[in-house]
Amino acid sequence: MVFFLILVGLVFVGQIAEIFIPPLDWMFNAHIYIVPVIVFYGAMTLPFPLMLCLAFVAGFLWDAMTVQVLGANVEISFGWSILLYAVLAAIMHGLKPLFDRGRWEVHCVLSGVCTSLILLAQYLMISFRRGSIFFDREVWWQIGGPGLLAMLMAPLVFWSLHWLSRLTSNPYHQEEEGFDEFASR
Amino acid sequence: MSRSSIVALVLFAVALLALLSIGPQATRKIQATFFQTIAPFLKTGSGLERQITSVRSGLKSLEELERENSALRVENRSLKATNEALRDVEHEVNRLRHALNYRERSLFRLVPAEVVSRDSSTWWRTVTINRGEEDGLAPEMPVLTDEGLVGRTTTVSANIAVVLLVSDENCRVAASVEGTREQGIVTGERVAASVSPLLDLNFLSKQAQLKPGQKVYTSGVGGVFPSGLFVGAVRSFQVRGLDAQAKLVPAVDLAKLEDVFVVIGRK
Repeated sequence: MVFFLILVGLVFVGQIAEIFIPPLDWMFNAHIYIVPVIVFYGAMTLPFPLMLCLAFVAGFLWDAMTVQVLGANVEISFGWSILLYAVLAAIMHGLKPLFDRGRWEVHCVLSGVCTSLILLAQYLMISFRRGSIFFDREVWWQIGGPGLLAMLMAPLVFWSLHWLSRLTSNPYHQEEEGFDEFASR
Repeated sequence: MSRSSIVALVLFAVALLALLSIGPQATRKIQATFFQTIAPFLKTGSGLERQITSVRSGLKSLEELERENSALRVENRSLKATNEALRDVEHEVNRLRHALNYRERSLFRLVPAEVVSRDSSTWWRTVTINRGEEDGLAPEMPVLTDEGLVGRTTTVSANIAVVLLVSDENCRVAASVEGTREQGIVTGERVAASVSPLLDLNFLSKQAQLKPGQKVYTSGVGGVFPSGLFVGAVRSFQVRGLDAQAKLVPAVDLAKLEDVFVVIGRK
């Protein structure tokens, strides 16, 4: 429970921190997203109910900050990010045995892929609402860039969180093998 | 699946459905409450960001100074630091004097505000300002600087508000071109590859033949923006199938927004 509360706190701090991290000019203005990586790590080290709670908190914060209310219309309804987070976190949760067996690199790659999937889903939704869709180089970079960055950040974030998980004696922490060897280095 | 997981899933689904079914007013209320809660974090973060930028620019000056005169490095360092501090004060005084002059000569009742944070999302372009309902702000109010139009307010809480920038595709502005009878709608680009994107002026007639540099102002149609606000200058013009389109350079450098004014009415 302590570790879960720490993850909730980190999601909150991460969401605020993202506001002050400028987009990367050299990557076609791609943004850096830390929160999805934290949520996806939580999905692998928390039980299913707490994983859902974490996805709910993260999606709620994201929507509270980004949903656009224009006159009498809401562009993407409040709650869609929660659903996206929950579905993708559930996939990561399902792959937990792989993580426990030490194949953490799969989850690092998946964190990036899932981050991009969230952005792709948002782009498809706003394109549908605005009545036109196009995919040019800029769009792909805005979707793929944050995913690539999340992939690069994931080992460090996973390592730090794994260390925290052990420190707080998270009962769902896998001690036998795998990522622990990496985290104890 | 265990019993606790099923219970959690049901509770999650109910909460999610409840959120998905709320309307625009409730959404705005949730957002306003949320922004009000995180306002202290945003303001502190904004202050820290400015301090870090200031320290970084100070270090750069020192490096240049070292290259120019290594023998007088120590003495120059202290002089440069003093000079930098004074220059910051001078810049601040000039900026505030400029803002005050504009506020006094403007036709509108303006509320000055400071940008505390920029958007963190990929698909929307917004900034957050440190003024809200307590200062007389409401949703759908024009936001500008002495250089021109910035955008309009969307979510407003007690003392913080979100501004949808003119560079966002959803911020549509009815506009007219200086020296012509051409009218059109200015919108931002959905995906911007730089922090200072161009604007599109759509629905022009094919015969418009706009020249680079021609100025575009708000026409006052639509009710949100009063007429006569400078939106941008024409950069290029192209004829399309049914109409013509011009690309505009925004009047305001949206990447360097610091101080803005919210129009709360006419004088």
